[in-house]
Amino acid sequence: MDTIAYLRYYLYYVASYIRFIVSFVASKLEKYPTEVKVAAVIAVLCVFTMFVLFVRMLIMSGYRKSLRLLREHTEETYGDAMRFLLSSEAPDQMSKVEICELFGIDPTVDDEPLKKSKEKKVFAEVFYNLFINEKAENARMSNIHSMLEVFGISEHLEKEVSLGSKRRKVDALNMIRAYGLSISPWIINKLLNSKNLRLQRLAMYTVIVSSSDSTMDYFETEFFDNNSCIKDEIELAYSLNRRRKAGLKLPNLARWAHMHKREFTQCLFVRLMRRFNQVEYCDQLRDLFVPGNKKKLIEEISRTWGYLHYVDGEQLLIDSLLTQPDDTKVAILHALTRFGTGRGLDAMLDGFRHSLNPHVRYEALRCLYNYGDEGRRAFEKLELESSEADAHYFSFFHNPITLAKVRLDREQAYHPSVETVLNG
Amino acid sequence: MWLTLYYIFCYLIFTYTMAMIVTYVIMVCMSKISQKKLEINMPDDNTIKFLLRGSPLTPAVSVIAPAYNEEVVIIDCVNSLLNLDYPDYEVVLVNDESTDRTLEILIEEYKLIEVPYDIAMRVQCKPIKRVMKSTDERYSKLVLVDKVHGGTKADGSNAGINVCSNKYFVCTDVDCIIEPMALYRMMWHVVNSPKPMIGVGATMLMSNGCTVQDGRLVRAEVSNRPLPLFQQLEYMRSFLISKLGWSAINALPNISGGFGLFDTDIAVKSGGYDPSSFAEDVDMLLRMVTYMKNHNLDFKLAMVPEACCWTEGPGTVKQLFRQRTRWARGLFEIVSNHRKLFFNPHYGPIGALTMPYIFIFEFLAPILEMIGFLFMIWLTPTGGVNWRSAIVVFGMIYLFCLFIASVVIYNDYRIKAVNWKSKRMNYFKLMVASVLEPFVYHPFQTVCSNIGYLRFIRNTRAVWTPIQRQGFKKKDQ
Repeated sequence: MDTIAYLRYYLYYVASYIRFIVSFVASKLEKYPTEVKVAAVIAVLCVFTMFVLFVRMLIMSGYRKSLRLLREHTEETYGDAMRFLLSSEAPDQMSKVEICELFGIDPTVDDEPLKKSKEKKVFAEVFYNLFINEKAENARMSNIHSMLEVFGISEHLEKEVSLGSKRRKVDALNMIRAYGLSISPWIINKLLNSKNLRLQRLAMYTVIVSSSDSTMDYFETEFFDNNSCIKDEIELAYSLNRRRKAGLKLPNLARWAHMHKREFTQCLFVRLMRRFNQVEYCDQLRDLFVPGNKKKLIEEISRTWGYLHYVDGEQLLIDSLLTQPDDTKVAILHALTRFGTGRGLDAMLDGFRHSLNPHVRYEALRCLYNYGDEGRRAFEKLELESSEADAHYFSFFHNPITLAKVRLDREQAYHPSVETVLNG
Repeated sequence: MWLTLYYIFCYLIFTYTMAMIVTYVIMVCMSKISQKKLEINMPDDNTIKFLLRGSPLTPAVSVIAPAYNEEVVIIDCVNSLLNLDYPDYEVVLVNDESTDRTLEILIEEYKLIEVPYDIAMRVQCKPIKRVMKSTDERYSKLVLVDKVHGGTKADGSNAGINVCSNKYFVCTDVDCIIEPMALYRMMWHVVNSPKPMIGVGATMLMSNGCTVQDGRLVRAEVSNRPLPLFQQLEYMRSFLISKLGWSAINALPNISGGFGLFDTDIAVKSGGYDPSSFAEDVDMLLRMVTYMKNHNLDFKLAMVPEACCWTEGPGTVKQLFRQRTRWARGLFEIVSNHRKLFFNPHYGPIGALTMPYIFIFEFLAPILEMIGFLFMIWLTPTGGVNWRSAIVVFGMIYLFCLFIASVVIYNDYRIKAVNWKSKRMNYFKLMVASVLEPFVYHPFQTVCSNIGYLRFIRNTRAVWTPIQRQGFKKKDQ
């Protein structure tokens, strides 16, 4: 009661003091015109704001300094043990006692090595930075999970996800996804329905890593369709990769490609099929291969079939080659090269002879050059027959520097756009 | 009658000043909104690098750098560009028929030989003589374009656009030192946008006073010399408040020609850089926006304050005068060439807000300031000045300038845009600059702008002369 009375008195005192200052300034300005009064008020506000900014910078500086010191201390104390844990030298399935020994903790004396939330935050940050920098693909996840439990990081991350600010939630979700930790369903469901797009998406990607269910209904929403971007594909690929490493079944990506209407989203799932070698679902893409409909989608389907050696689709590609737009022609030519059945040879020659676009003509030559002995012979014959106007196309194949780019096997199969020395 | 006119003029100027203050406050608030968005959407550097480095989906970038008589800084520049931390990029260096040893130095240092190259002249530029590549695998990212002298940076940039083979290109100057992580940070915005990202801007800062080693900036410092110091404050104000603020509502009016990322396809469709323009960067961006809007295409523009590029600013009054008069002519040109965008809601926030702002508060300000100053001189001997009121109003404007400088420093500290060697010392220097700026630097700028406008009206021929390079301070010096 005393405290409340004191607080009330203190607030009254502060309020009356402010009132006095304001009335004092107002009385001094009374005789001046309005513009001077306005100017004086703005000047006072400027000084006040500058003071506030200065104080905030001081507070921020102190906080950053304390974090830096704590980070240095954590790195010094636990850095080597963390690195060992992430290396392939670490034994499999380390027990909590072994983890404690590695980190120099006596579990009988100290059952909670990191007590403050700030310490846990810094520890989690330091470890995460090592995890993503030290190429920890071969790290034993079971050891990492044990270590996170010993230091209470798992609970800390869950707490951050449910109570932290948006930024802290994002950071915590990134870590949870990277380590493949499981998270309470009520927390994750709340985030899956979040209005914040970044949080909602991250929650989806986190669930993908650890969910035992492979249907993942949230990808069937129109919302994902309308807002998807390249980053979503990158993150989705990363999450699906982690899921695959954890030994869980991957969903049917061709089904998702069918489910969405936006061309970009459809292409996204077709590319992911290519990345995750979903050969068994290739025939499901035949329904989407409707020439003249969505040219980017046709291009991605052609690439996917080529890369996954879906030879059943070869005739469809050959038949549609000359009626396609230039970029799609290139994709089809690449697919035919990858099939390597010999049936695509005439199509490649047609691609060179009947195309006006220099990019397509160059790519047709490039595919011929890479089409085994038969293709190389056709290439040489074509060179002998070619006119002077076409000679520059062949010059790329004789220069050692540009020849390095000619070989198709050097190209990233998953890349959506084919790197070329020509500008189409 | 004269007295009425006098009062009207005085109140007009006061209203104009108040409107400017309100606009700046709104801009500060918008920059805060941008920062908040960045906080959520921009993960830390390690995560960005981890996700983009490992993915073949990360878009490839061509870095275009036109060079003319740059023998002093060319090696530092190319090394800086080759040292960028990004998984898939090429460096397209355009030699605009330099008369010094720029080309010879490049050929010797990077073992360049001529290679066959089929160039589609997608945007207008002077003929390209040859394209060269390195025989050394370490420099395989480097492409040198040797072209007929065009005399402008825009012409060189267009040649680079014609040769570049990637979906995105970054245009920069040879005296620029790009922060290694800059491309990652910019591309994160590209991959993170559901709408097509047609341009991403970065923060330009003065490299005068900084130390460079092997093409990398090893010591970031504000120069002790007054001219670069004032320019540093000016640049930071422009990038950390104005541009950051406009980017919050997708209304960025300018992506600096010193370091900006563009969608190659849209830039080509809009005609690339205009070699006859004095403000080719603003001009191209506005044409890109016009193209997108006229074709009813969605687009996005972003500003990434954390991506920094360091450039050498004019070190002498003469050079600065030349640069600023050219910029003023450029501004006049933009205002007259793109007048159809003004108050035109068809062009979105850029037409409805940014262009009117540029006209009212950037184009008209130097003219009004000059008239006000001459008016004061005329009134002083006649006793027509109420000095008490004048001092209070001037004090308000002065304190407001200091307030804006403090916001700039606060934003820089909060965003951690620059890793200054000594934060306290550099911020102190910037505060000193902000205290002196209204008396020293700002009047000079006003004069330059008015002379630039006059030259534009009189159609005086302008020759684009690059600033005399001092070269970078090396670590061992």
